[in-house]
Amino acid sequence: MKRLMCLIFTLVLAVYLLSGCSGGGKTANTESKNAAQAEKVTVDVFQFKVEFKDAFESAAKKYTESHPNVTINVTTVGGGTDYGAALKAKFNSGEEPAVFNVGGPQDVAIWKDKLADVSDTKAAGQALPGLLTGVTIDGKPYGLPYNIEGYGLIYNKDIFTKAGIKAEDINTFEKLEEAVKTLDANKSKLGIDAVFALPAKETWVTGLHMSNAFFSPEFDGDIMKAFNAKTIDFKYQDAMKKMLDLQNKYSVQPTASLDYAAQVQKLFGTGRVAIIQQGNWVFPDLSKMDADFAQNKIGMLPYPVYGYKEDCYPVGVPMYWAFNKNKDPNTLKAAKDFIDWLYLSDEGKKIVMEQFKFIPAYNGYPSDAVSDPLGKQVLAAASQGKAINWVFMGYPDGWGMNKLGQDIQLYVSGQLEWDKLVDNAKKTWAEARK
Amino acid sequence: MKKRKNKNAWYWMFLAVCLVSLVIVVFIPLAIGIWYSFTDWTGINNPTFIGMKNYARLKDDKLFWHSLLFSAKFSAVSVIAVNTVGLTLAMLVTRNIKGKNALRTIFFMPNLIGGLILGFIWQFIFVDIFDSISRFTGIKAFSGWLADPNTGFWGMVILAVWQMGAYVMVIYIAFIESIPEELLEAAEIDGVTPFQRFRHIIFPLIAPAFTINLFITLSNGFKLFDQNLALTNGGPGNMTQMVALNIYQTAFGESMMAYAQIKAVIFLVIVATFSLTQVYINKKREVEL
Repeated sequence: MKRLMCLIFTLVLAVYLLSGCSGGGKTANTESKNAAQAEKVTVDVFQFKVEFKDAFESAAKKYTESHPNVTINVTTVGGGTDYGAALKAKFNSGEEPAVFNVGGPQDVAIWKDKLADVSDTKAAGQALPGLLTGVTIDGKPYGLPYNIEGYGLIYNKDIFTKAGIKAEDINTFEKLEEAVKTLDANKSKLGIDAVFALPAKETWVTGLHMSNAFFSPEFDGDIMKAFNAKTIDFKYQDAMKKMLDLQNKYSVQPTASLDYAAQVQKLFGTGRVAIIQQGNWVFPDLSKMDADFAQNKIGMLPYPVYGYKEDCYPVGVPMYWAFNKNKDPNTLKAAKDFIDWLYLSDEGKKIVMEQFKFIPAYNGYPSDAVSDPLGKQVLAAASQGKAINWVFMGYPDGWGMNKLGQDIQLYVSGQLEWDKLVDNAKKTWAEARK
Repeated sequence: MKKRKNKNAWYWMFLAVCLVSLVIVVFIPLAIGIWYSFTDWTGINNPTFIGMKNYARLKDDKLFWHSLLFSAKFSAVSVIAVNTVGLTLAMLVTRNIKGKNALRTIFFMPNLIGGLILGFIWQFIFVDIFDSISRFTGIKAFSGWLADPNTGFWGMVILAVWQMGAYVMVIYIAFIESIPEELLEAAEIDGVTPFQRFRHIIFPLIAPAFTINLFITLSNGFKLFDQNLALTNGGPGNMTQMVALNIYQTAFGESMMAYAQIKAVIFLVIVATFSLTQVYINKKREVEL
């Protein structure tokens, strides 16, 4: 027995050593080959968008095939994990990436010492009007938008039809409330657990997206106003309370430990709830589960801000590409060329439309660029003036998720009064801006 | 005389390896850390000295003190629970029962799983499985474990016991098996009950194991991070946030590295005090055979 173990161990070790050797030889070979062709550049990309990781990596591979002197390493950290924290850790470890993401003025202020001016890229000139405002300091842009995204209340068309509700008619909070009550009354007939799935565990859904709809009017939809605000009035707190209460009361319980996967895939994707608050980015996830369902059976209702604008959708840029100015000029240029290629070349445009399923943030795309139903609706909302701007990237660092979002968890589990939540929000905002 | 000097040189040479690495990886970072705690470092900017401002601010940081208290409570409960379970398992698998080696392996398995993965596994159990149980049986107590600070606390304890129990078991086994056979035999001839055997023979003789295990579980309880992050992530409302997670959030979530550094310094002092006092007390009651 012992001898057998010994033999196995030796074999494993031998195989490991041998494979290690051959692997090393191979890389050395390709390296020398590349060096002969052109000066070799390595671009490290550290990005946050988990949903398009595979598509983005294959795009990077395609680029390196036509530009053999460039190597692109993609690292993706995002989804449930905190991208900002991971990025800081990455910088502190000494391995600074060449390309990373910033979300808006708050991030730009934090990363100022690292950011390269992007006005020399073609993409900066082609970005849709207004999209660069949030990353511009003294007239110089420091980021390039990924895409445009929007959110609202995504609903299941079959369930609505069965309940006899016309989704097109829902354009105020009162009509929404009425529809929700109808759905709730017919729960067992419709085969649903509850009307909503409110993922209060995901503090970005509550603390950032939900609150955004109610802070955007307070700052006139201007992200820079939010960024410069020393204090908040929380002017639309009643409207927010209405929305939160509605979603919480008619949700699958308990909401405080409900997460994104449960909300989108386990509950909505299988038809166990009728409505969820999410954006067009959930399309790939739903499509993977059931392509027909995602393409034909879902739609998006507006996200009403009671007393302000009720037939509206929050629309904005989720993240910007930023470039590390401490990298040498060659790497920096290669990195910028890659992003230009991705958004402006014909090959890149095709990838952006067909594989990323992005709503393009740049000029020069065909008007029917978006094919999924959620994206189409967001685009339509934007063109019909039904959009309200995103301002949450102007919140103090970590405030939306770690302060407001956490208090919302306490509120929905009945351990914090709403008034106290409002007080806390005002206090923590002011403290963070001191 | 010369010989003696030589011996001294050798002594320091051997020690130097340890000493130098200790200084490089522990003492110097600690000193730098303490210096950072007097600055306004965000992790990205160039730090400037701001004196005691961070310390003054800490006083009013309710969340930090809450998390510290939560960690202390957690450590106290988990030290008792982990060691009880570990010792019971150890007693079980040192008896002459069938398949005891297989049992040891099975008991030890959870310890081989990383904290993050364990956290997610238990999240699945507490959220999905418990929820299903509560739906089928109608028992409300099973629903929403991680949505409530109290049950969230016990969820963390269960996870810790599950993971650490087997680890301390191994240490207990080592000590139990080193107890001389003749001692136990003699006791048996004298007619002790199993309880007496445990209380008066095994218990005192494995005292060193207690010293080690209490130290490990106590300091691990305070330092618990990945399980906390994966299981509850501090929720709901930061009520189950432990001190290590609080420091991490301050440092990376809110970009206040210097302020987090203060918390870390205070944390170090507290953990060191508790752990060392405990070791000192336990050392005194160890007996030599």
